[in-house]
Amino acid sequence: MRRIGIWIAVGGLLLGTAACGGGSGGGPGTGGTPKAASLSVGAVAEPANLDFTSTEGAAIPQALLVNVYEGLVKLDQNGRIVPLLAEKWDVSGDRRTYTFTLRPGVKFSSGAPFTADDVVFSLDRVRSDWKLKIKAQLDVVDKVEKKDDTTAVVTLKRPSNGFLYAMATRLGAMFSRTGVADLPNKPVGTGPYVLGEWRRGDSLRLDANPSYWGTKPALSSVTLKYFKDATAMNNALLTGGIDVISSVQAPESLQQFADPGRFQVIEGTTNGEVVLSMNNGRPPFDDKSVRQAVRHAIDHKALLDTAWAGRGQLIGSMTPPTDPWYEDRTGDYPYDPAKAKELLGGKTYTVKMRIPNLPYAVASAQVVKSQLAQVGITADIEPLEFPARWLDQVFSKGDYDLSIINHVEPRDMGIFADKSYYFRYDNPEFGKLLAAADEGTEQEQTDALKQAAKLLSDDAAADWLFLFPNLIVAKKGVTGLPQNAIAESFDFTALAKQ
Amino acid sequence: MRGLAMRGRLNAGLVAGGALVAVVVLAALVSFVWTPYDPTLVDAAAKLHEPGGGHLLGADKFGRDTLSQLMVGARTTLYVGIVAVGIAALLGTPLGVLAGMTPRGWLSELVMRVNDLVFAFPALLLAVMLGAVYGAGTLTAMIAIGVATVPAFARVARAATLQVMVTDYVLAARAAGRRGGAVALRHVLPNISSVLIVQASVSFAIAILAEAALSFLGFGTRPPTPSWGRMLQESQELLFSTPRLALWPGLAVALAVLGFNLLGDGLRDFLDPKLRRIRADG
Repeated sequence: MRRIGIWIAVGGLLLGTAACGGGSGGGPGTGGTPKAASLSVGAVAEPANLDFTSTEGAAIPQALLVNVYEGLVKLDQNGRIVPLLAEKWDVSGDRRTYTFTLRPGVKFSSGAPFTADDVVFSLDRVRSDWKLKIKAQLDVVDKVEKKDDTTAVVTLKRPSNGFLYAMATRLGAMFSRTGVADLPNKPVGTGPYVLGEWRRGDSLRLDANPSYWGTKPALSSVTLKYFKDATAMNNALLTGGIDVISSVQAPESLQQFADPGRFQVIEGTTNGEVVLSMNNGRPPFDDKSVRQAVRHAIDHKALLDTAWAGRGQLIGSMTPPTDPWYEDRTGDYPYDPAKAKELLGGKTYTVKMRIPNLPYAVASAQVVKSQLAQVGITADIEPLEFPARWLDQVFSKGDYDLSIINHVEPRDMGIFADKSYYFRYDNPEFGKLLAAADEGTEQEQTDALKQAAKLLSDDAAADWLFLFPNLIVAKKGVTGLPQNAIAESFDFTALAKQ
Repeated sequence: MRGLAMRGRLNAGLVAGGALVAVVVLAALVSFVWTPYDPTLVDAAAKLHEPGGGHLLGADKFGRDTLSQLMVGARTTLYVGIVAVGIAALLGTPLGVLAGMTPRGWLSELVMRVNDLVFAFPALLLAVMLGAVYGAGTLTAMIAIGVATVPAFARVARAATLQVMVTDYVLAARAAGRRGGAVALRHVLPNISSVLIVQASVSFAIAILAEAALSFLGFGTRPPTPSWGRMLQESQELLFSTPRLALWPGLAVALAVLGFNLLGDGLRDFLDPKLRRIRADG
């Protein structure tokens, strides 16, 4: 008995140190030194399947868009729309007709040629077969026609600034007429990579496409390895199991990679607004002054410094600095607990803060709770398993008072215009501004969206904790990594290893 | 002389275990009236404060005082231990006594086979499942650990009851027409209590470890309520730069577990009539 007792005690001590060795995800198969000219990238979320036309989740376009599937256009590192499968496009005077001139000689990985028929097929399919909420972004399309093999004409119902941008997202991905039979498992695209092997629960390997029309990739393959645990991913890079951490989930640990002889740390921006959502549809946050009190009660600088090691950027509304209509709105609600108390009028509240069990959310929630407590709001934190339970309880059913989530989709301010969205924000004025922005000229668009962002901020429709940083750590010698993560995909096209 | 030496050695475990447990209990009790700081207060200015200068054991990345967190964490630990062991003892003991008093009946068979079934199911898995269904939290963790510990109590109680049932005084009581319930309460329970106390102490140690493990995995005590397991979990990303953040809660878990185990061992030796007789003979 005595001996057992001591072993249990030792177990307790080990629990303390197990932190460094516990749950390392680097399996034996992919561990060790990778083969020449192949690369292993650690990522957080594994796709549920490979079909982004029917399944939600940022992980699928992250892996496949631009790499396996290509659109007519794509976003470059600065957020500009540049040609991809279309060599050029002409817009008619009334801004309703887009004529795309396609690149000749492009083939799908199945060998089928890419023609204007595929453009018609792919865009029609968005309307007929896609199941995602975001497909509404292409509702503005009236018809798609083939003029000849290398010319496709898209006619819109009305002028739309969002159309071409949507074409650079997964909505604009080009599918082969003969390649959609088994989208969840067998993607067929025109991209520089093709699906190699998908080991569910572990990794997804993409191999270079030997018949790619453009500059052939410098690597023979890229493997995305999925980790549930931030520390395990760090350890995998330290021990050589992977070459790149695509998104650092434990920013305080960056110090481990401080040796420039071994590692490089890349820091850029993303489209990810970490939102403190408030349920506008039920008490107490249906009251604007209570929401405003929350915004005044939070010291965003202190929150970013403690919860996310000061990495990221303070924003103040639903636009990232890479959008042309970005304005610094962090001054709208300066940290002022006295003002917050005044807005609450001496009342105290107890609310449910139901958050996803993700590192940034759990860390931020504890700071938010501590700061709200100072002004008389008690927020009970309940971490929910992400994605399933959080999506069901908070996102679908709207059963929450406060939540915290990183909204990663590009140019996603429009979600506030949908009053059934889990924010339950309902201001017709906001919807009008967005509609005007989409139809207007470029300048009108910029002006209207600036006003829209200001309106959201003034209404305290939510609070914006910070802009999620793009933090990449890679072994020295890996080149072509994207500095900013502002598109939906992790673009492998320029990746190389020296 | 031999008796004295024996007694001294026996008491060492009891005294050391008792002392460690007393420290944990004291820390928990004091935390109700006083902690150096509010353990959940985020203070960016004190981020990763070195030990000393107001923060005796330093502060974590949120600027929360480590000592205050440890003290309130002790409360969580004891709370989980008491409730989990309470559930296990209250359910397991009657089942074990029942099975021990009717060794050849179908009831005994049923109780012990169901017992085996639960025994084969890992406590942590049960807790993770309950957490997934009913939401993770201290309560689900306590219930899961408690239920998973029931078989240990049932087995120990049954074995001890079997021994007591063949003693002369029980046979005499039954011959005199005492009912089963009365025999259980008057004769069986008092005589198996020492075994149960020892079992409780050892189970307590296991419950502490289980709670720490669950909180570490995110299925235990909810943030920001301080818990040793979650302190360990949060220290992970700083393990290389600020190892003390992992050291203190790790040490706390280890010493508490060691304390309850030593206490259990000491109590066993102390309460065991056979050893007491050896002592008297010596």
